[in-house]
Amino acid sequence: MTTADDALLADLKRVLGDRVRADSAERALLRRDASVFDGGSAGPTCLCESTEEVQRVVRIALAHGRSVVPRGAGTGLAGGAIPLGAPVIISLSRMNRILEVDTDSRIAWVEPGVVNLDLTKHLTPLGYHFAPDPSSQQVCTIGGNVGNNSGGPHCLAYGVTNAHILAIEVVLADGEIVTLGGLDAEPSGYDLRGVFIGGEGMLGITTKVAVRITPNPPSVRTLLLSFDTPRDAAATVSAVIAAGIVPAAMEVMDQRITIAVENYVNVGYPRDAGAVLLAEVDGLPDGVDIDAQRISDIGRQHGATDVRQAASDEERMLLWKGRKTAFGAVAQIAPNYYLHDTVVPRSKLADTLEEVYRIADEHDLAVVNVFHAGDGNLHPLLLFNGQEPGIYDRVHAAGAKIVEASLAAGGVLSGEHGIGVEKQPYMHQMFSEDDLDHQERLRHAFDPACRSNPGKVIPVGHSCADIQSLRNVPEEVWG
Amino acid sequence: MDLGIDPDQLGTCVQCGLCLSSCPTYRVTGDETFSPRGRIALMRQVQLHDAPLTTEVTEAFDTCIQCLGCEPACPSVVPYGHFIESTRNALTEHRGSRRRAIALWPLTKPRLLRLGSSLLAVAQRLRLVPARLGLPNQLPLRRRPHRSSGTDVYLFTGCVMDAWQREVHFATQRVLEAAGFGVTPTGDAAGCCGALHTHAGLAAHGERLTQSIDAALDPAIPVIVNSAGCGAHLKQHSSHQIFDAQEFLAEHLDHLPDVTPLEVNVAVQDPCHLRHVQRAHLPTRTLLRKYVSAVTELDDDGLCCGAGGAYSVLQPDMSQQVRERKLASINRVQPEVVASANPGCSMHLSAAGVKTEHPMVLVDRALAANSSTT
Repeated sequence: MTTADDALLADLKRVLGDRVRADSAERALLRRDASVFDGGSAGPTCLCESTEEVQRVVRIALAHGRSVVPRGAGTGLAGGAIPLGAPVIISLSRMNRILEVDTDSRIAWVEPGVVNLDLTKHLTPLGYHFAPDPSSQQVCTIGGNVGNNSGGPHCLAYGVTNAHILAIEVVLADGEIVTLGGLDAEPSGYDLRGVFIGGEGMLGITTKVAVRITPNPPSVRTLLLSFDTPRDAAATVSAVIAAGIVPAAMEVMDQRITIAVENYVNVGYPRDAGAVLLAEVDGLPDGVDIDAQRISDIGRQHGATDVRQAASDEERMLLWKGRKTAFGAVAQIAPNYYLHDTVVPRSKLADTLEEVYRIADEHDLAVVNVFHAGDGNLHPLLLFNGQEPGIYDRVHAAGAKIVEASLAAGGVLSGEHGIGVEKQPYMHQMFSEDDLDHQERLRHAFDPACRSNPGKVIPVGHSCADIQSLRNVPEEVWG
Repeated sequence: MDLGIDPDQLGTCVQCGLCLSSCPTYRVTGDETFSPRGRIALMRQVQLHDAPLTTEVTEAFDTCIQCLGCEPACPSVVPYGHFIESTRNALTEHRGSRRRAIALWPLTKPRLLRLGSSLLAVAQRLRLVPARLGLPNQLPLRRRPHRSSGTDVYLFTGCVMDAWQREVHFATQRVLEAAGFGVTPTGDAAGCCGALHTHAGLAAHGERLTQSIDAALDPAIPVIVNSAGCGAHLKQHSSHQIFDAQEFLAEHLDHLPDVTPLEVNVAVQDPCHLRHVQRAHLPTRTLLRKYVSAVTELDDDGLCCGAGGAYSVLQPDMSQQVRERKLASINRVQPEVVASANPGCSMHLSAAGVKTEHPMVLVDRALAANSSTT
């Protein structure tokens, strides 16, 4: 610690007391989120409890020439919350109150540290839920969902986070507090709320959110279809959509991950199927029965070897628990994972999948595939042992190939995990210089000094100010 | 420093973070250092990268309640319980185990423990015992002796529970007898199970105590345990057939008489070592539904109450913050009684003004009410 650090720490402690931590244990733990990226030692961590505290911390950091990085549960998969250049970490996990639920207007005001699933559990007795349901929903926070415009299995029918946020209270990089969006059906002016969602903490820090709450469907049918190959499963998904059905969710897992998941949940996922498709329809009872039957028929036409319908809510919950915890279950196969997140047109799903398996083979890496098939969002998980010499080079190279293959198929860089530091080097492949300039200018409109979560998203050559605000630019965040 | 954890096993955490909300200390602090993912990362740093054992690092390990709520939440089935037990042992060895061993010594001397408890009971009546210690409101001055009614099952009576809550043992025995089982209470023949020693980082000591229980009992006879913490420890360390009392009786529900249920709204508090370690928390409901009019669930998914054996004494601040969450959850459902199958949890909750009963006591009461009316 330097004298400058001491002075910063003293100022922060005046506001937060012992809710500031700067010991070596904490600084080391916050180097990472749930991704493979390592941001280096973090600066002081501030466990804020109110908007005003966030504002004061932002201003203190600014006065000391330091940048800030907001952090929720640290479940991000693109390195969006890792600390580049020892920034002040603003932890929002203690701002976890559900402030107000208005079922008449179908709105809830919540703090950013509210856990996604806690909100839904709170709403369940009232007959509502929060629709975006990322796989990490049991731990991830609403603030993080806003920052990454998170998706989830049920976003196929209900839309991603952006469709469920009405207004956001934000502390900007200079400490100003603004509210973006509003509760009116058509708020006037530019849709700055829409700009901010998915901003990955680079446009400011979310301190309060008005979310739309969704009535629970009167009935739900959940189908588990088994196939010999992921190609058959992917073809079924395309055919279901082509038939005009919009299921609440359609998720595919390949054999290897299905086995790992079944080891954990024991709900009867078939261990011998080459792939499984978990499909859910919801709505009025008569309609869901018809749709369930049609999906089952389409599946059989495309080679489904077995179709099973969840017989109880308990079974349904377990099936979903398996799907949603899939990425965490991979330690059964290898101790490290690199979870990719690209999107391709649904019609290209089967071909791209085969390409992914080929790329993994070529790099001598294990890969499992678990993905939001309904919207073409691939999640290949490259599995490896990080202790193996040179392994990160191979993982990195395979990752790059997967991105290339997805873009070549007409896809995009990220479905829902965000860009963070992971996809930053690929931005040039997706966007022109002009596009990137505009993104940079937008960022500057919110944060001219680039103090809020610097060094992420916008590629290095494009963001000089970001580089300047980093005290030491990381040479290598991998591993 | 070697924490004695298998390095391959230590590698099985992929740091996905899905455990965070199942961890009571992370829930109340919001701080990664007090989460299972954080603690495992620190164990790695200490064991694999020789990071220094700073105050903050030992605090992270010491504040773990060992509720093991993180284990069922982990899709990679990381054996966190082994990790933290091993870490505690290494720490205790590092810091010297004498004080802890002395503090736990009375548990292994049942007569001394009972004498001490009776003195405490007198002191309580003279209002010399501060309420913040969290002792049961009225410790018994004297206890009726145990009696045997057969050798179908053992009733494990343990140490502190036998001194402080022997009435729960009597109730359990009466219910077992109503189901047709002859019961031998283990009494002083088999004392402390060693769970608290193992949690305090004195695993070898705990192991010896468990072995002496195994040696004293006939392995052909099932052992019924009505303290969730002891039951969890014995299931893991004893070679005998160990059953939680509710688990055993729910399996023999048809042996139990049908009676008019007690008119009472009971909320079930799952002791962590029943739910996360024994994974046998559902039978409590099976049994209670037969004998009380309303069984209510708390809405916190079995999050720890903060008792944690000796934890409430060793880490009072964190323990009370965790209890606040449990109290809020209890307040949201407003039960008349909270059923808790672990003496530590029930004492910890009643010290905060919650009316608690052991599920066996409620069942026994329902059976007794019936026999007095017929």
